[in-house]
Amino acid sequence: MRRLSYCVREALRNIRDNRTTTLIAIATTAFTLACVGVFLLLYLNLRGVASSLEDDIQVIIYLTDGQSPQAIEDFQRRLRAEPQVATLSYVSKEQALADFRTQYPAEHQLLQGLGENPLPASLVVTMSPRFRSPEAVKHWAERLNGVPGVAQVQYNRDWVENLTAVIGFIELAAMGVGIILSAASITIIASTIRLTLYARRDEVEIMRLIGATAAFIKVPYLLEGAVLGALGGMLSLALLRSGFEFFKVQLGGTGRLLGLDSTFGFFPARVSLAIVLIGLMLGCAGSFVSLMEFGRARS
Amino acid sequence: MIQLFHVSKSYDRRPALQDINLQIRKGEFVLLMGPSGAGKTTLLKLLFCADEPDEGQILVQNRNVARLRSRDLPHLRRTMGFVFQDFKLLPKKNVFENVALPLLVQGMSAFDTRRKVSEALKAVGVEHRQYSRPPSLSAGEQQRVCIARAMVNGPMILLADEPTGNMDPELSSEIIELFKTINARGTTVMIATHNRQVVGQVHSRVVTLNQGRLVSDEGSVE
Repeated sequence: MRRLSYCVREALRNIRDNRTTTLIAIATTAFTLACVGVFLLLYLNLRGVASSLEDDIQVIIYLTDGQSPQAIEDFQRRLRAEPQVATLSYVSKEQALADFRTQYPAEHQLLQGLGENPLPASLVVTMSPRFRSPEAVKHWAERLNGVPGVAQVQYNRDWVENLTAVIGFIELAAMGVGIILSAASITIIASTIRLTLYARRDEVEIMRLIGATAAFIKVPYLLEGAVLGALGGMLSLALLRSGFEFFKVQLGGTGRLLGLDSTFGFFPARVSLAIVLIGLMLGCAGSFVSLMEFGRARS
Repeated sequence: MIQLFHVSKSYDRRPALQDINLQIRKGEFVLLMGPSGAGKTTLLKLLFCADEPDEGQILVQNRNVARLRSRDLPHLRRTMGFVFQDFKLLPKKNVFENVALPLLVQGMSAFDTRRKVSEALKAVGVEHRQYSRPPSLSAGEQQRVCIARAMVNGPMILLADEPTGNMDPELSSEIIELFKTINARGTTVMIATHNRQVVGQVHSRVVTLNQGRLVSDEGSVE
């Protein structure tokens, strides 16, 4: 217990005695993790957006004009019985025209020139969760296309698929950037610890000569690396949080978030904790690299 | 206690020690004499396992140091004490903390550490400076602290490399008296020095090295 408390005190003393190099190592780790964190934040938020958009995947079945209300009612009943359909709502020709006028107030004169209402009645179907895959939606839509009374079937799957592909690229980029910057962070922390070891080489030599084990000598430096890394992780979270709030205020104010701002969020607590732990592990790895060279000497 | 068989050591192909044979018994007081570059420091470095011989065998307390695994070295060193010409005290720790280090690495309790450190500081006459840091002490006081650190855990062997270097004769004499006291308690003491004045003061076994060779061994109990 005394030895452990000595190791902790020595680690804190190293940090206090080497303030400049310590601050540089913390800042470097913070910026490294912040760079990776930007990608991670983007990835998690876009995945959230894609997930919420997937929930809203709809298939719109446009009906041919001139069908009797009874025929439309029968068709709706048949569709509701199908497992693909989670919810179904009927949009009449009049309702479609009213919606168009609401959504495009500047263009409604275009329709006036055509005389009668050209917009078809439609059925809006929300797909059941297990039928939301691209193949399932496509297959079902193609089958409906051949059904009498159906003019056209449309679904908004394509751009969700594109978004998923973009998220995949971001995920890859985050991993690539993460690996490169983590290596940089380990190198910098290793250099910091190496400088500390060099500055205290006499002390290390004395400790060896009085019978200190390698572990007793090394543990304070490993702890020092861990503290530097963890502090870097915390600072990176603070930087990311500030940047995130700034981004939200800037874009939210101009209305560019298309009503999705409620979907955007900062890291959940477990991801934040993971970032601090990654910082801590990077710090330990940096110390370990320095100490490996140091441990090769017999004495 | 210490046995060397045909020990040789070179640095950059320049021989530092050549074919050294030496046996030191438990409780002996040995002066290792010779001019600068004779190989005294090299011999001490081999004994406290800071280096390995190129040839020959070294037994310390019946353990072959060349065959000792790295993880066993600290345990052997805890049975030995070292005193250096340049003291090698930690400047940011006070006298008490410096002397307590060998006990700390062994995991001794705080109570026993305090007791043993106080005894060691009293034995070398610097108990009144226990809260001072080494840079504020005189050379003589620093060497006394170094001796206190070397003897605090009751070592079987005490090795000293030029412990009276750069000291005036009076101070040098006081330091040698301390070693004699430690030796009288049963600790084997080996001092490397080029100061011939010490020989007259100790009247003990004198081993002389010159250009890496053992040229004389006087006063041996054999």
